[in-house]
Amino acid sequence: MQTRAIFIAAYRELSARKLFWLALGTTLLVVGLFASLGINEDGVSWFGWTGDSPFFNSSVMSPETFYKLLFANFGIDWWLGLLATILALVTTCGIVPDLVAPGSVDLLLAKPISRARLFLTKYATGLLFAAVQVSAFTTATFFVIGIRGGAWEWSLFLAVPIVTVTYSFLFSICALVGMITRSSLAALIITLMAWAAISTVAMGESLTRHGLLANTMDIAACTEELANTDEPPDEDRKEELEARSETLREQRDTWLSVHGWFYGFYLCLPKTGETLDALNRVIVDANAFGNEDGPRPRGVFAPRIADRREYRTAVETDDASRSMAWIVGTSLIFEAIILAIATRLFVRRDY
Amino acid sequence: MDPALAISLEEVRKTYGRRVKALLGVDLHVRAGEIFGLLGPNGAGKSTLVKVMLTIVRADAAKGTLLGRPLGDLETLGSIGYLPEHHRLPPYLSGRQVIEFSGAMSKVPRRARKARAHELLDRVGMASWGDRPLATYSKGMKQRVGLAAALVNDPKLVVLDEPTDGVDPVGRKEFRDLIVQLRGEGRTVMLNSHLLAEVEMVCARVAIMVQGRVAAQGTIDELTASSRRYEIVIEGGPPAWCDAHTRVEALAPGSLASSGIAGAGTRLSFLGIDAAAAQPILDKLRVEGRTIVGAQSVRESLEDLFMRAVTDPTTGLILKPGAVS
Repeated sequence: MQTRAIFIAAYRELSARKLFWLALGTTLLVVGLFASLGINEDGVSWFGWTGDSPFFNSSVMSPETFYKLLFANFGIDWWLGLLATILALVTTCGIVPDLVAPGSVDLLLAKPISRARLFLTKYATGLLFAAVQVSAFTTATFFVIGIRGGAWEWSLFLAVPIVTVTYSFLFSICALVGMITRSSLAALIITLMAWAAISTVAMGESLTRHGLLANTMDIAACTEELANTDEPPDEDRKEELEARSETLREQRDTWLSVHGWFYGFYLCLPKTGETLDALNRVIVDANAFGNEDGPRPRGVFAPRIADRREYRTAVETDDASRSMAWIVGTSLIFEAIILAIATRLFVRRDY
Repeated sequence: MDPALAISLEEVRKTYGRRVKALLGVDLHVRAGEIFGLLGPNGAGKSTLVKVMLTIVRADAAKGTLLGRPLGDLETLGSIGYLPEHHRLPPYLSGRQVIEFSGAMSKVPRRARKARAHELLDRVGMASWGDRPLATYSKGMKQRVGLAAALVNDPKLVVLDEPTDGVDPVGRKEFRDLIVQLRGEGRTVMLNSHLLAEVEMVCARVAIMVQGRVAAQGTIDELTASSRRYEIVIEGGPPAWCDAHTRVEALAPGSLASSGIAGAGTRLSFLGIDAAAAQPILDKLRVEGRTIVGAQSVRESLEDLFMRAVTDPTTGLILKPGAVS
């Protein structure tokens, strides 16, 4: 009864905020933009106008894949993963500071509800906003892909729990800062800064991992070529390869050390970007592009000796090797720790 | 555990941080079914004491019961109605929604809280405003809705912290009448207010807190008994016997006399006696042919009592407001 009452009040609070309706309206506008785009044999069409393209046309990818790609790359990565998340944080950053505001918290603490339950329920109401926005976006996109792309793709609805969970990683930071500072603005700014820091560490981990992979493949290629240069003897090439192999082995230690540090930090942090990437992998079939190479991997450090195509495949495999359970599980551990600290603060504080 | 006590607190102590001693061992007893006034200057510890009772603040040490259950018992809070000072009701909800939300948080079944909300809106004079958002309410209206929200769970104990803050004089009268009605319904009301006249009008018993301690506690009659006196105003100067303690003692046993100027005449004051005990004195004055201009029983007002409680008896200075550091 109490949980239901808190959720109903939270819904009323959200619906009373102009920003909620603005975000919802913008969400539907974005989906409308998706719907207005089309793909035909010449290229991409928009309200009857077609932009010719040799890369984006229905012979390269089906309309279904086109819309799924739009949903994954623009809808999830840019809209839900960035812009809508910022809007959601702006809208919900005041939930915890409002909860602990003098005159407000007294009314709730004087009720027969445990403090921990009260705090965690209020926290959950913050996720309601993200869930409503993602649900609206996904449902509208589901119909766009169904009607325009001809495929009724139920897996799109995986976006609702996954994007909400991704948002919850950030919202836990927002809740903790709001609890400590009692300021909506501080909660928002520090959460955005933390998000930027998390993204930087994630990028660092990804780059160094790809660098290490390139280094490993170069060493292997070097070793293999060295083995093949013995017969017939090619002393110059052999010396060059030996010198390069030596350098690569020295660099390997640096790669291992730097990646180890990044990985250590990254392991402890929420994996917001990687969670959304994993969602993309579930929604978009890499083989549906009409291009057997699949999407471009994000490897920056291309190998100098090893085959680049093999490297791209290895990067792709490496990126996909982390299971959704590992990505979400380690992130949820972070969230649980942050929430436990925030809850403890709420439970032990005098108001 | 005395079942006749709605609130029984003993040795309640609270220190904020390491230095601010808000409560220094407070003992407080409120009888079931009475209206009890908690008084004190700003920072005396009244709000902290109420918050300790309601688990909003954690005491360093506290013994006692609320409605017969140990202090801190969560379920007891379901039988308490609380209107905090400077409350912040959700502005996006209507008055009716605020009352229903308060009821749901107190575990009042849906149908019952809807019926109670309807009834209480009417009772606090907000029936026509019930469905408008709180953002459009005046402060007095918010107080009314806050009071209704505090009553939605049909509480046995109602704790009101400055309930008439921001309410106009007509509204204050209505609030007082409502508080008296609550007592009539068998509820215990704890009233925390700075308005001494208001407290005096409705409270059976009071406690005065000063610097984290209860300086006085009891019925207003009990607390002012020591100041009870009989005053007689006569024409001319004071009679000679008035200065002789043995002669006054013979007329009115246990009385202490003093005199002072009252306009063109004299005011004779006999401490510790009532009208009946003063009759021999009046008879003697008449026998002496003195003109009696006026005669009345006098006792301290609650304000006098309050000022006495907050005054340092050794220096005669008002004690510093705030908690002890």
